[in-house]
Amino acid sequence: MKRIILILLALFLVKSPVFAAIDWESKGMQIAGEIMANPAGFFYDFQQDLEATTPLPPGKRFGIQTSLFPTTIPMTYTNVSLKARLHGEGRIAPGVPQLDLVGGYWDMLAAKMATKDSETVDSAKFGGYYVGGILSASVSPRVRTFWGYKRSVLKAKLDFKAGEEPEFLGTTVSSFDTGFKDDFFIAGIETPKGVNKLWSIQLNYGLRTQTFSSKVSWYGKYFELGLNIFPEGVLVFHPVWNFHLNF
Amino acid sequence: MKKIILSALMAAGLAPAAFAAAPEDSKIFTPFFDMTLSEAAFLPSEGNIFSGGNINTQVGLLSKITQADHLFALYNFSYAGQGFAPQDSKQFTDRSMSHGFNLEYRRFLTDRFRVRPGVAFNTGYSRTGANEAWKNGLYNMNSAGAQLAADYTFDEEKNGYVTAQYLFRSIEFPNYTDLLAEFQSAGSQGNIDGGLNDQVMGQFSLRPNWNKFFGGVTYTVQNYRNQKVVENTGVYGDTKQRDTDTMLDFGFHHSLWIFEMYPMVSYTMHTSNQNFMKYKFLGDTAPEFAADYYNFKEMNLSVPVDLNITSKWAIGGAFNIQRRAYDKRMARNEDNDFTTSKQVNTMTTLTGSIRKRINEVAMVRLFGSFIVASSNTKFERYMPYNYTGNSFGIAYSLSY
Repeated sequence: MKRIILILLALFLVKSPVFAAIDWESKGMQIAGEIMANPAGFFYDFQQDLEATTPLPPGKRFGIQTSLFPTTIPMTYTNVSLKARLHGEGRIAPGVPQLDLVGGYWDMLAAKMATKDSETVDSAKFGGYYVGGILSASVSPRVRTFWGYKRSVLKAKLDFKAGEEPEFLGTTVSSFDTGFKDDFFIAGIETPKGVNKLWSIQLNYGLRTQTFSSKVSWYGKYFELGLNIFPEGVLVFHPVWNFHLNF
Repeated sequence: MKKIILSALMAAGLAPAAFAAAPEDSKIFTPFFDMTLSEAAFLPSEGNIFSGGNINTQVGLLSKITQADHLFALYNFSYAGQGFAPQDSKQFTDRSMSHGFNLEYRRFLTDRFRVRPGVAFNTGYSRTGANEAWKNGLYNMNSAGAQLAADYTFDEEKNGYVTAQYLFRSIEFPNYTDLLAEFQSAGSQGNIDGGLNDQVMGQFSLRPNWNKFFGGVTYTVQNYRNQKVVENTGVYGDTKQRDTDTMLDFGFHHSLWIFEMYPMVSYTMHTSNQNFMKYKFLGDTAPEFAADYYNFKEMNLSVPVDLNITSKWAIGGAFNIQRRAYDKRMARNEDNDFTTSKQVNTMTTLTGSIRKRINEVAMVRLFGSFIVASSNTKFERYMPYNYTGNSFGIAYSLSY
């Protein structure tokens, strides 16, 4: 099968005149312009990578998670997330879904280091948090759906020292002070992929800013691999690697 | 763009998969969940690489009140991102997003006959390559309406049934305005010129299904509340715009040995009483009048085939062609002059894919497409008519 995949990939990715038309320099400028136009949106996409918005596995009461990539590395988002089960599915009455509280906090290490050591940055503060709740219900022995709400808040503030302001796309940037906050609706579905391995797909939709993302995740006892897709974001694909423990 | 919006509205009705949602005998509540997600890179022959995706999420709940009375609630989120598009529809960079709510009461009158009255609400957002805020989109719209459907099962063994449905929608475009009129008249206000795209839509469809063969006829009428028809004098007359679409379609989904085929063909006749004035440049004192400019016939043929090599893996191929021939619209040459031949647009797509079934409810697909768009219109300052392109992407699907 792998041989067939390789042959097909070779056929589809054959170097054609179309590839020669890619102007990487202008694409880079476009991406940089989009970041400057909405820096909070750009940094918030990485916050979504660390947000733990899947329900606790059945039978678990607490969970702790830290995101390793692309948050801690390379973005230096030191972060921690917690999950706590308020009640298990069917415990109060048959059919009542599981309810988990989720939340987390992050702080950008690079911003602290820049403030301390940089000759150009006067002050920098990048950080955020989120809190929410996830309802999950089994719809068959192998499928669980979940619905949730989260409130996400991000603060991004950067001041350059007088006389040291950088020039970007012909404009001198002296500072920016921006933020992001929104209330999100979450809908997802989870299904087993193997023994103690789960696969889920979920939609996160911001009610006020219309920010949305789709998260596809594979997770086991310790690690979660994910592919977060931000169709309207600057970087559309975020491969994600998280570490978690559930008790 | 209007065509895209109309398509979105039609899709805002209950999708076939949602229609098929059936209660499990032992349960009062049966959830319905369907999410598909795709993301691709696009490489056009003209212009730079870009990426775009599609998301469709449906979350529903079917409640069995009694054996004969069911209530089905459905929320639908849909996003259509940047991508190649048929000529005369939208720019590559246009995106749209919608939220739909449907509530349907299902009453079984006999074992074979049921009626389904329902209400529907939809909010749609649009966005261009200028990245304006979603709430400011020119084609943002709100719709509300109702529908009545009746299903008659004529062959229980082969799942044979016929559905007749009438639906009605009142559609408002709160941001839509006549940009040219506003530009030409300094005192013009958006809220005065607004409402031009507001319309009332009615649709009747008759759709038989049998043994995984399906087809039908769909007739749609759009009556504009305010938009008038432009006359050959270049000014709007008293007649309001009215568009109709008559669509015939047929398809099936069958497996033969390792081949899984789900081809579909449709033929649409679009009529509009709207005419067109062609201004070659702003301030053109001798614009050309073109009557019945928007009438066309369109054919769509889609032939996807999957080769199920193992129970998990499949190799897929798909051929898709869309051909639109205008009844009276003449093609334009490079200088934006009408030629003597009627405009014909063709878009052909060849797709190859690898599909992996993760389990009984989930699958992932890697795909690559080659697209050829051609037209006898050669004036391409605003919209591309003749181009080729490649796209490569990944798609996920999870349905319960």
